[in-house]
Formats: sequence, structure tokens, C-alpha cells
Amino acid sequence: MATAPSAKQFKALGEEVWKSKVEKINAELFTLTYGSLVVQLVKDYEDYTEVNKQLEQMGYNIGQRLIEDFLARSGIGRCVEFRDTAEAVSKIGFKMFLNIAPNVANWSSDMKEFSLIFDENPLTEFVELPEDALEGGLWYSNIYCGVLRGALEMVQMQVETTFVSDVLRGDDATEIRVKLTRYLEEEVPAGED
Amino acid sequence: MSNEINCIALIGKQNNPLYLKNFSNTHPDLKYHYIAHTSIDVIEERVASGPKNLDLYLGLLYAMEDLAVYGYMTNTRVKFVAVVSVTEGIIRDAEMKTIFKKIHSAYLSQICNPFYNLDSQQSIDSKAFSRAIEAIGANTNTKTTMDI
Repeated sequence: MATAPSAKQFKALGEEVWKSKVEKINAELFTLTYGSLVVQLVKDYEDYTEVNKQLEQMGYNIGQRLIEDFLARSGIGRCVEFRDTAEAVSKIGFKMFLNIAPNVANWSSDMKEFSLIFDENPLTEFVELPEDALEGGLWYSNIYCGVLRGALEMVQMQVETTFVSDVLRGDDATEIRVKLTRYLEEEVPAGED
Repeated sequence: MSNEINCIALIGKQNNPLYLKNFSNTHPDLKYHYIAHTSIDVIEERVASGPKNLDLYLGLLYAMEDLAVYGYMTNTRVKFVAVVSVTEGIIRDAEMKTIFKKIHSAYLSQICNPFYNLDSQQSIDSKAFSRAIEAIGANTNTKTTMDI
């Protein structure tokens, strides 16, 4: 059995995959595409809670597919502990797809919950939320929560992901809380029967 | 002495007012609205008469009393107007061009906001944009006063 990689090894692997094995697109194109997606959802649903749900659901679908790409390109093996999962997600996952490295922090005492703290967020370049979006409780980058949930479910982890704070809403930092509900044992993921 | 920016105005492609910032206390906002509005005619004349005009910077549009009005129009027909108080000294084109480039960058950042509706013809109501325009004005004003 290979020993679990150290934090430095995760980081190095992430950088290596980003540099050599990943095709890149223009950042502005990406940001503008996501922006018009959110604005269209807002126009269609007119209810910010519903928009949050839709973003999360879209993220979920993306995450289920993205995990395969992630595993293939990074070549990483099974994570021994949830802590390794957290490091792999932040140092390799986010690095590979967005070239950002959120910090893992605020572990709960049972080591089943952690926070991802984002210094930068490529989705929100140039974005300023209007008043009613702020009041309505829109989490602009809620797609991240879905992606994490979908991806981890495909590797037998059921998690709950929620936004805690967002710089776009005037908070000090952008933070997502990830909570491990349980490990899935050879079950069909919920909602796919 | 010092040449100060008194006002920066942005006018939309349908000649609707997009934004106006008054930096001076000598004249009320309304006067600058009037100045910006008259500038539209001058800009349209300039552009119509010279179809070979490839430069976004239009130079001095006109002068009145102690104010000089400079213009700049993007390819999408959005117009920027800068009103400068002329006390002494020559204002170089290069300086005005830098100012307009900064305004243009601020405008670009604003329109990239997905929540900003380009077609609505409403004026720009964004804190980040206001801050950027104020910074341009403050920067130029402090800079010129130190050039004594």
C-alpha cells in the first residue's frame, strides 16, 4: 500500500498537472460565460433561492463527470483519510481546473468537516451584485458546492457543501463548508434510479 | 499653475447620459450636464466630417470661459467627455490621452459585470466604477498641482 502523500506532494502534483496536462482557455471568456449563465437563471427563476439550487444542481452534474477527468489526469490513488481528500481537492482539483489553491481550514473536532477559504475566485472578476441579489441571498459561485458534492459522491463520499461567506456579499472572505455525511458502500447514488 | 479635471462625463451610444462626476465646487452639476450635452453635437460633427478618423481620442472639442472640453469616442459610440479648467500652461495631448485610457479601462470593467444591463439606457450605478472615476480625478488633480 502506498503511503498517503504529504501536503507538499499534493501541491507539487497539482502544479505539475496544471502545467503539462491541461488545456487552457481564455479567462475572460470563461468569466463572461458563467456571468451570463447566472444572469439568465436570475431572469428565468426570479427567486434567488431557486437560482442557488439550480447552480448547485448544475455543479452536481459537472462534478460527477469532472471526477473522472481529475482521477485520470492526476493519477492519484485512494485517499486514506478525509484529510487527504481535503488536500487533494484544494491543491490538485482546484489547481487543475481553475489554477487557484483555496486554503483548507477550520477542521471540526471529529475531522469530518472542513472549510475551503478562497483568496481569489476567477468566476467573480468584474462582478458586482445588485441590491436585490444581496437581499435575496444569492450565492454567486454556488456551482462550486455542486461540483464538490457530485465529484465526491462518485468516489463514495456523501458530503454537504454550503457557502458560509462570500466577498461579493461584502464578507471578509469567501468560504465553503464541506461536511462528510457518510461513506457510501457500493450503493447507487441517490436520485439515479 | 494647475490644470484640473473639473468633470468627467460618460455618454451612451444613444446619446443618453451614463455617468457624470463633478470634481470642482466652482460650478454646479447642472452646468456640466449642459456642457456634456453640447459636446455630443461637436463630437458628431467631428466624426461625420472625417470618416478617416481612426483615433479614438478627439482632442479639444471646444472651449468656453475658463473651461476646455476634451472628447473621446469608442468604436461602439460611447463617448467620454473631460472638462478641464485652464488657468495657465498648455495641456498636452498625451496627458489627456492617458486620462481617457483610464476612463476607458474603468468603463470596460463596469460592462464586464454580468448584472449590468447595457441596453437599459440607465445611468451607471456602481460603487466600484464611481471609485475608479474618483481615483482618476484625484490622481490627475494631485499630480498637476505638484508639478509647480
